[in-house]
Amino acid sequence: MVIFLKAVLLNIYDKKYKQLMIFSILLLLLSLGVLSYNYFTKGELVERGVSLKGGVELTISIDQDLSIDSVKQHLNNDFKDSDISLRTITEQGKIREIIIEAADLEEKQLIDSLKNHGLKIERNQYSFQKTSSATGERFFKQTIIALIFAFLAIGIVVFITFRDLVPSLFVVLTAFSDMVSTLAVISLLDVKLSLGGVAAFLMMIGYSVDTDILLTTRVLKRKEGTIFERTVNSLKTGLTMSLTSFFGVLAAYFLTTSDAIKQIMLILSIGFLFDIIYTWIQNTGILRWYLEIKEKRRTQQTK
Amino acid sequence: MRNIKEIFTNIRVIILIIFLVLMVFAIYPNPFNKGVVIKSVIPNSAASLAGIENSKVTAPMSLEKILMINNIPVTSIEDYYKLTSNALVNQSIFIKTNKKNYQLLVKPKIKEIVLNETEQKIVEEFILVNETINNTVVQSNKSINKTIDVPKIVKEIIGVEEVGLRVDNAPLTNLRKGLDLQGGTRVLLKPVQEINDSSYSDIVDNIKERLNVYGLADITVKEVSTSTLLGEKAEKLIMLEIAGATEEEVKDLIGKQGKFEANIGNQTVFIGGRNDITSVCTTATCSGIDPDRPCSRGEEGFVCGFRFAITLSPSAAQRQADITDKLDLVTSGSQKYLSQELTLYLDDTEVDSLKISSDLKGKAVTDIAVSGSGTGNSQKDAIDQTLKNMKKLQTVMKTGSFPVKLEIAKIDNISPTLGKEFINNSLFIGLIAALVVVLTLVIFYRNIKIAIPIMINTLSETLIILGIASIIGWNLDLASIAGIIASIGTGVDDLIVITDEMLKKQTEVFINWKERIKRAFFIVLSAFFATAVAMIPLWSFGGGMLKGFAVTTLLGITAGVLITRPAFAHIMQKIIEE
Repeated sequence: MVIFLKAVLLNIYDKKYKQLMIFSILLLLLSLGVLSYNYFTKGELVERGVSLKGGVELTISIDQDLSIDSVKQHLNNDFKDSDISLRTITEQGKIREIIIEAADLEEKQLIDSLKNHGLKIERNQYSFQKTSSATGERFFKQTIIALIFAFLAIGIVVFITFRDLVPSLFVVLTAFSDMVSTLAVISLLDVKLSLGGVAAFLMMIGYSVDTDILLTTRVLKRKEGTIFERTVNSLKTGLTMSLTSFFGVLAAYFLTTSDAIKQIMLILSIGFLFDIIYTWIQNTGILRWYLEIKEKRRTQQTK
Repeated sequence: MRNIKEIFTNIRVIILIIFLVLMVFAIYPNPFNKGVVIKSVIPNSAASLAGIENSKVTAPMSLEKILMINNIPVTSIEDYYKLTSNALVNQSIFIKTNKKNYQLLVKPKIKEIVLNETEQKIVEEFILVNETINNTVVQSNKSINKTIDVPKIVKEIIGVEEVGLRVDNAPLTNLRKGLDLQGGTRVLLKPVQEINDSSYSDIVDNIKERLNVYGLADITVKEVSTSTLLGEKAEKLIMLEIAGATEEEVKDLIGKQGKFEANIGNQTVFIGGRNDITSVCTTATCSGIDPDRPCSRGEEGFVCGFRFAITLSPSAAQRQADITDKLDLVTSGSQKYLSQELTLYLDDTEVDSLKISSDLKGKAVTDIAVSGSGTGNSQKDAIDQTLKNMKKLQTVMKTGSFPVKLEIAKIDNISPTLGKEFINNSLFIGLIAALVVVLTLVIFYRNIKIAIPIMINTLSETLIILGIASIIGWNLDLASIAGIIASIGTGVDDLIVITDEMLKKQTEVFINWKERIKRAFFIVLSAFFATAVAMIPLWSFGGGMLKGFAVTTLLGITAGVLITRPAFAHIMQKIIEE
């Protein structure tokens, strides 16, 4: 049964690879759609945290029972004109930390208000980060430049490796698709992108390129077997890579108590899943298509 | 058996083992290290006078360690405080460290109390006879005895001054914990206008000096400049990390430009910094509450005056002579003064203005007294505030001002409790994530043996990253730890590529081991370069906040391709051959 199923899947993968690509193209278009919707309704692709926008983020470790809704209500009452967001880190069902973000408040105002609400907050019990809005904006601009730079640099490295422009562009396209879809998903999950998240995206691009280099090397540079055999060979290795990393990162996501690390792990784990689709359906498909067209031309020329 | 011997005689494995041994020495772990180490010494404290010096070495395990105090062994910070806090004034404390023996003389803590009554006092001062009115500042070089009415000041010993050591529990390794792991304040400062390289390093030096004046421990001042990537304008920032300091302390210290100016009319006589002011007196003999202007009840609370002596450089003194020479004399009461006053400004706000005695007209006097005041609700508050103002003024007079104003671009404060939790949590998730990875691979390959080389590889890479971080003195922060996780992740990816190339059935095409390893490393190296270039923007991005991520990732993947993964390929080959 399992063997039969495997044979059917492999057959589809072999014979219908162009049709399969429709799926990945739709996914990419959908992601772009989500991002454009965000852009036109909210004015930005993804919500930004204080480190990329400016404002204050306060992290308080909690060792008492409290209702998060009442805290939220209390803060909204105290600061009616401010946009305050609140999230928690729980451990074994108990609230361990609350994280409060506000664009135009000082950490002292927040703490005083919380103390009035009956929270016990000692001096050593909270952390905060405060970024001026000019600095946040500048960091955000740098983020975009950093990503563009990373794509260009990786494109150059891949081109030097394969000395073939079109497959190198495919690799960059895969990394780009991974990023766009991951960005779309985290925007749907209401994640506020932080500096750490940017590092995660750069890392994800690096990981994404790993599997594409594996695929392109085996398909382009090796001679044993057919293109499809070589693809399946690299698929096995690639899936092992992506799934292993995915499980490792997922474990870290659930166990970490650090908000920054949690965001990094979330972005990486979503990225790994998209990378499976974009590498083994999209990149494999266009690479095969490209090689077949090239082959056809060559046979025509020799005729 | 033969295979095991072959593994350990292979050059790649030997290189790996040599590296691992070196790294263990670099990290120098000692989980049983107990006791108390000296992190810094406060200037002019009992400890400093006894000859204890700030450590010049930076490796945590080489810090001077306190072994005994008064012949009683010290094993914890609690011991240290117990043994030093009960000391009496002028009592000797014997401190034995792993380097030397010291004898500290405990200093008294003195408080000046200004009484409401006055007393007659004969003082010998560098002051002229006709300068007995309040607000008199200018002193000639003449020494004269005079009798004045001064408020009675009682110096009272209110306790014992602390011995002046900043101590910490003895570290267990040479790894440096960054701010995210131990708590403290991190500030990113941005000059409000563009500056050149030399004024930039002036600012950095100035900040270091100001922090030294306050005796703060555990400071790192880093210059962060963003590169001109793709047309982004380069900017220079300064990152300041102070362990254990609060936001207010840091702001007070660096939030102000500290521009000090002494003007007569609209001409500047001297400014803060070494060029104009050669020395500033900070000891009790020539600085403190001004006996001529004691605390008095004002409209809003109390007002007290302070004064301290400074020495001007000859050129500044000459400037003063040139300016005063042109001034007229005016008579007020029985005294004769110059027509304009000497006004002191700090950050463009007037601190005080002082009448200049007629005798000083055209004279190049180098010894000058500077004064100012402070207010408070009670007399005690007023004295505290006055002394604080005095210290601020003394600091900027010593260090001079920043060439430009600095703006706080970002300020982070990390609580020590959360920092400690973060360390434990990172270790825990690191361990679990590694187990999950190994377990997944064992299931995929249905082979338990491959777990061993993968574990060895992962541990070796972690050890090498941490070892090199200790050697280069890198502070491990949150970004660095994320980088370690990321580089180990790519490490595992590479191991899978290598393993798969080797496991390919021999029947497919005959390829020898050397060719297989070569093929695997083509992919590994390409992936290495791709990841490495993706890390470049992080170097200068986001005010250097993510540099740690780039550093540990690059260390990890470089150590991986050069040292651990070649050795892994060999070990794997032997395991598969079996």
